Amino acid sequence: MKYLLLTLMILLLQACLPFQEAEVSPEEAEMKIYNEWIFAFKVQDLKVNDQIITRPPGIEQLIFRLVIPTPGGVNFKTQCVYYQVPYKKIMGLLKIVEQKNVSSCSEVSSGDSWLELIHLSDLKVKLVNFKLILDFKYKNQKKVWTFLLPNIENGVIHEKYQAVKERKIFPGLTLLRINDESFANGRNNYLGKLSDRMSRGTAIRCQQVDKNCQNVGENRCDSCAYGWYQVVDYTCPQGGSKFCGQNHCGEKNEPACLRGTKVVEGSDSGICQSDLSAVLNADHVLVCQ
Amino acid sequence: MKDFKRYILPLFTLSICAVLSVGGWFLYSKIQNPYSKTEQFVQDKEAINRLLQNSSEIHRIWNEGEDSREWNLVKQECLKHFNITSTFDESLLRCNPILLQCNYLFNPKLNYRFVKPEMGNDQNQKMYRYLTKSNTSHVGLEPSGYLFTVEDKQSHKQLSLLLADQCQEVFLQNRVYAYGEEISGKPSEDIEDYRFDNFNQNIYIDRHLVMNSEVNDWIDFGNPNFTKGIRKIEADELFMPATRLNYSQMENFCSFKGKQMMQAHYFDAATFLPMDLSVVSPKKNNRSPYYWTKKKSEFKEDCSLLYAQECVRKKAFHINSTSPSWSGIMDSLGGIFEVFRNPIDPESNLKASSYYFNFKSPWHKLGFRAGWDGEDFELRHFDFKGINPKLTVDNFKVGFRCMRESK
Repeated sequence: MKYLLLTLMILLLQACLPFQEAEVSPEEAEMKIYNEWIFAFKVQDLKVNDQIITRPPGIEQLIFRLVIPTPGGVNFKTQCVYYQVPYKKIMGLLKIVEQKNVSSCSEVSSGDSWLELIHLSDLKVKLVNFKLILDFKYKNQKKVWTFLLPNIENGVIHEKYQAVKERKIFPGLTLLRINDESFANGRNNYLGKLSDRMSRGTAIRCQQVDKNCQNVGENRCDSCAYGWYQVVDYTCPQGGSKFCGQNHCGEKNEPACLRGTKVVEGSDSGICQSDLSAVLNADHVLVCQ
Repeated sequence: MKDFKRYILPLFTLSICAVLSVGGWFLYSKIQNPYSKTEQFVQDKEAINRLLQNSSEIHRIWNEGEDSREWNLVKQECLKHFNITSTFDESLLRCNPILLQCNYLFNPKLNYRFVKPEMGNDQNQKMYRYLTKSNTSHVGLEPSGYLFTVEDKQSHKQLSLLLADQCQEVFLQNRVYAYGEEISGKPSEDIEDYRFDNFNQNIYIDRHLVMNSEVNDWIDFGNPNFTKGIRKIEADELFMPATRLNYSQMENFCSFKGKQMMQAHYFDAATFLPMDLSVVSPKKNNRSPYYWTKKKSEFKEDCSLLYAQECVRKKAFHINSTSPSWSGIMDSLGGIFEVFRNPIDPESNLKASSYYFNFKSPWHKLGFRAGWDGEDFELRHFDFKGINPKLTVDNFKVGFRCMRESK
């Protein structure tokens, strides 16, 4: 009877095992990570490059962060990647913490983790040819994770006679996280309407340049729903302020079109219809009146 | 209480049976299949790698267009599928969704399939969507382009690819340019040689006129309020210039693509052949009225340079029927009319050089423009400054192209 009860107890405990949260395997971690990072637009604050991270022992540190679109792509989120170097009884740990928006990561993780992988050691990280490579030992077994990052772009190339070329693994190709939410009405955060005009006071300024030729605030022109155009204001080397929408430059009460700075100066640096002249408005933008 | 005692034994027995079966099942599954979860992850990784490999192939075909081996394989069936019987410039297949659709439909060796987008009530037959900032809320949409969702046949895992359609644009070199025809004699206060420059500007111009297939995509994926009344044009007309939009619709089409209507002075910049390509800031902008020569007298009655009235009998007109200008843009002279936004002289907004005039016509000159009110296509909507076409035409064909500035 005693043995029967003991057997029953063992089976009972065993039956509860499926409901216990199991430790993440490296294979599962790799897939979970790849399904997210494949959409990453930016890898930032990468502090190490192909060197085994040995210091500081036993303490968690931020190794890099990624900017990734949320499912449906309505917003960007940040994933902060931390590593704890193993020390004596402290286990090596790879920890990823998710933030709901684009923001910097704290030096030490806080809040719930999105993923934790323990028993790690000898971690090396490198970013080469748009591939993020994590090389480490898991329970003393060597592992190499290679994540292709097709959305990472290192600027663009403007070359005469050519189309624009992005510096990325597949120039002109972007992986999107499309779902129904991507097309939901009322979720579009891009700037401006087709009817926006400077003459109606409705045009959205997406980049402002001040009289000292400093950019004021961030350049949001990539967020214009219907393109953007430049105006003539302080004839700065980086160009003038920019507005979202359809360009009606040269028309009455609209900004003057750019004429450049090499062949003309002053109010002549704007183009207006032949029956209009260019004057500076209160915002120091050359408009046609 | 008596009743309860009577049920204790059966209940206890049932509990033991339940515990035994759950525990037994779990032990059995662990013994039988200890690596199944791991194997699943390995298979998932292989599926992602296959999808990435296929994305790379799709990207190659997208860029190679008519030069791809796939076009040779599927060309006949593709043309039949789209009811295209006339010839067209096959370089238009670069960055064009028609080639990818045909490769998917007629290439049996593919290990992926395209997922047809759900478009609500629409009877859309396309395997893609045109994605731009005005019709989706997806972040990081720079630039706009064609969205194809690829599904791995083995695992049914999907990946959505946005393919930019910018390879049909050309960068306008940073230099000093001039607008309009060259002024003969010395410039005076009244007559100015209108010069300008585009230093510190990254201007991209469409190589070719907007095609009907692009307008069809606007009708399918743009805001229906702006495309009301515009009919889709198929078959042989797919690769022909869009000529049935009024001026305001043309502007809205360019806006849909995140671009602007082509401006007259930038068209001049892209077509007048610079006298010395190595001098970006010349003191004077001497210019020939013909895009193929620096000599003002070197006019040629040649249909491969200028598609005039006489050429209609020799070969059918299509987009890109003549040689490119120095900057790489097509149909600089001849062909159909082309309208611009002219911020200097809005009344002179039409490239009248076209097959409506013979080689002898004075209209076949760069920078010399007629006027169009942008509303309709009968003669009364045009101002040919007294040099009217000698043909009777019910509706003239007016094409357009877009341009944009890039960061």
